[in-house]
Amino acid sequence: MGFKQELLRNLLLSLRARAAEACSASDATTLQVRRRAVKRAADVAMAAARGHGRGRARWPKAILAAADTAPSSSSPAARGACSVRKSTACKRVARTRRCAAGTKRSVVRGGDAAAAASAVARRMVKRRTMALRKVIPGGHAAVDEASLLRETLDYVVHLRAQVDVLRRVAEAAVQRSSTFLLLQ
Amino acid sequence: MSSRRSRATTVSEEEINELISRLQTLLPNAGRRGGNQASATKLLKETCNYIKSLHREVDDLSDRLSDLMATMDQNSPGAEIIRSLLR
Repeated sequence: MGFKQELLRNLLLSLRARAAEACSASDATTLQVRRRAVKRAADVAMAAARGHGRGRARWPKAILAAADTAPSSSSPAARGACSVRKSTACKRVARTRRCAAGTKRSVVRGGDAAAAASAVARRMVKRRTMALRKVIPGGHAAVDEASLLRETLDYVVHLRAQVDVLRRVAEAAVQRSSTFLLLQ
Repeated sequence: MSSRRSRATTVSEEEINELISRLQTLLPNAGRRGGNQASATKLLKETCNYIKSLHREVDDLSDRLSDLMATMDQNSPGAEIIRSLLR
């Protein structure tokens, strides 16, 4: 099964399960909660579909781990789990920053003016990669620039596919309901 | 020892340049040229912005889908149509 098909299948299964419990549950779920649940279902569907694909990527695991610990309601226990996860992530960022600094120093000591100039440029690139780490799920854990860029490439490709699948599902749902209304 | 490290740095620089150029083909404004460091930082910034805009699209579409599904909570005929889509 292709990635998009698997994403769609995961998404529909999850939405159907959600719809089933919504029918039985009371009208207590707010709009916000419902929307966040659909968004999470879309991300989990994407991560799960990628997990079965070829090659390994870090971002699906990060999404699934976040979905596990994210609060479905704002319960104190769930919030506690989130804060624990955040502190672990901060430690990983600190470790990564130290590694990056070590690499920079060794290049400048090479002596060359060209090496120094490229070290400055590389510092600018590092600033940009820090921004990138924040938008890639699990990006803070990438050990070097190359693996971060590989994650980025993989993530962007699958993110675009997710957008495409979601758009088709939304359009199909709208089309069917309007067709039905036309036939009334 | 230091020569080995600089060789490793050169190899990963080439790899990084290759990854960056592959990233460029994914961005909406593909077709821009330039392989220097300045355009690399610009490209990374564009990538960040692109990912954020994709996230916004996913949010919007999820909201639309969620609202469509909300009609399933009422027992309207339209809801049955949406239910049939999900079957």
